[in-house]
Amino acid sequence: MAPEAQRIVYFDNAATSWPKPPQVREAIIGYLEQVGGSPGRSGHRMSIAASRLVGDARDAVAHLFNVDDPSRIAFTKNSTEALNIALLGWLESGDHVITSSIEHNSVMRPLRFLEQQGIIELTVVSCSPTTGYLDPDDVRDALRPNTRLVVVLHASNVIGNLLPLREIGAVAHSAGAPLLVDASQTAGAYPIDVQALEIDMLAFTGHKSLLGPTGTGGLYVREGLDLRPLARGGTGSRSELEYMPDFMPDKFEAGTLNVIGLAGLGAGVQFLLDLGMAQVRQHERALISRFLVGAARLPGVKVYGPADPDERIGVLSFNIQGVSTSKIGLILDQGFGIMTRIGLHCAPAAHRTLGTYPDGTVRFGFSYFNTLDEVDYALVALAEIIEEEEHGR
Amino acid sequence: MADELGVLDGLVTFYASHHAVRAEKVLAKGGYRVMLVPGPREISPNCGVALQFEYTHIERVRELLAQNKVQIEAIHKHRVEVTEDRLNRMRGGG
Repeated sequence: MAPEAQRIVYFDNAATSWPKPPQVREAIIGYLEQVGGSPGRSGHRMSIAASRLVGDARDAVAHLFNVDDPSRIAFTKNSTEALNIALLGWLESGDHVITSSIEHNSVMRPLRFLEQQGIIELTVVSCSPTTGYLDPDDVRDALRPNTRLVVVLHASNVIGNLLPLREIGAVAHSAGAPLLVDASQTAGAYPIDVQALEIDMLAFTGHKSLLGPTGTGGLYVREGLDLRPLARGGTGSRSELEYMPDFMPDKFEAGTLNVIGLAGLGAGVQFLLDLGMAQVRQHERALISRFLVGAARLPGVKVYGPADPDERIGVLSFNIQGVSTSKIGLILDQGFGIMTRIGLHCAPAAHRTLGTYPDGTVRFGFSYFNTLDEVDYALVALAEIIEEEEHGR
Repeated sequence: MADELGVLDGLVTFYASHHAVRAEKVLAKGGYRVMLVPGPREISPNCGVALQFEYTHIERVRELLAQNKVQIEAIHKHRVEVTEDRLNRMRGGG
């Protein structure tokens, strides 16, 4: 049944991106072969070279997000760690937090933990069950005198819809609360300007659309916001003190950094800067349009989220009537070589919002390296699955 | 090498290596001759890396670093005392 069974089409970029640009591989090998050294720990040339690698990665990320002062970006192992630093480092006993009903567990679990411990009050504002839209007016209605944080994702890892960050931030700021954004799905896929969007804290991961390796990520904290670190330890700075330094980025970077990973991340981000985010977005938008138009012609296929490609990123969830997600995922992999992710995508709240809990959805996650031809091939595969199901009945 | 060290008689110390490598980048881009060296313990116990520059440019260097939000600990008139002659003697085992 499977044409071109040996072909590999990687549509699981929302989990982790593949392939990476060749520059990423070269940077990683370059660290191993030519740099070595521990950054910020010693004054010899190999240690300094490692510091430069980390500095270049930080500068590149700062440039991408329009951050004036790169020291306001601390590197972490992923978004999850960055979000935990932000949530556990900012919130205090008695604080009220507002979040959306489509958050990933990387936000929901730390918040539910803090709520369960009696530390915070939590309001989960419902998003639209069809588009995932979070209405800023609903956020305003949820404000309380003790609201001290609004935390939302930039785009859903299930539905792919973009949230109106500027408007949500304005509501948060009207109450004196900062806006924390989980940019796991948008960093490197969609333009982000922390100054224009007035984002106070931004958590990002390195291994998705930023095209770096796993084990990289970071947290931007705007000047003037003071958080407690999650971990304390050696930083190479203020070594005479037995207390953690209070300046960024060292404050949040206890222990030796993932220099080899950051070498790769720096190269991935530089690749995006050289291309320009407008071009990356334009290509992904073309892939999204192609899929939406093609899927609309397939009987029994329901694609979730906004119909307008401008309101979404290249993360597309769908179901085929009468066929389980696990069966679709298996046939796409085994029969067609198409890698997807099925199920709940670590975001049960989002699936409850959509009404797809507990079965979940099939998710395509596009990257800059996917092609229109691959989208067409996947549409043919879905058509064959539907046809085969009908014959089988 | 001996000549360069001879004129690089200014020393910037930092609290963190992040700022040391940023300073190097910013000043090199600005056309200044700079060199990262191990931070002299007698001057500062902080970051392990310090930056040498030509002390005559101190005002402009200070300005450029501030403009680019590079945080420094202090600026000293100081030269890391390893001359090329001495290095050559050591290399030669003599």
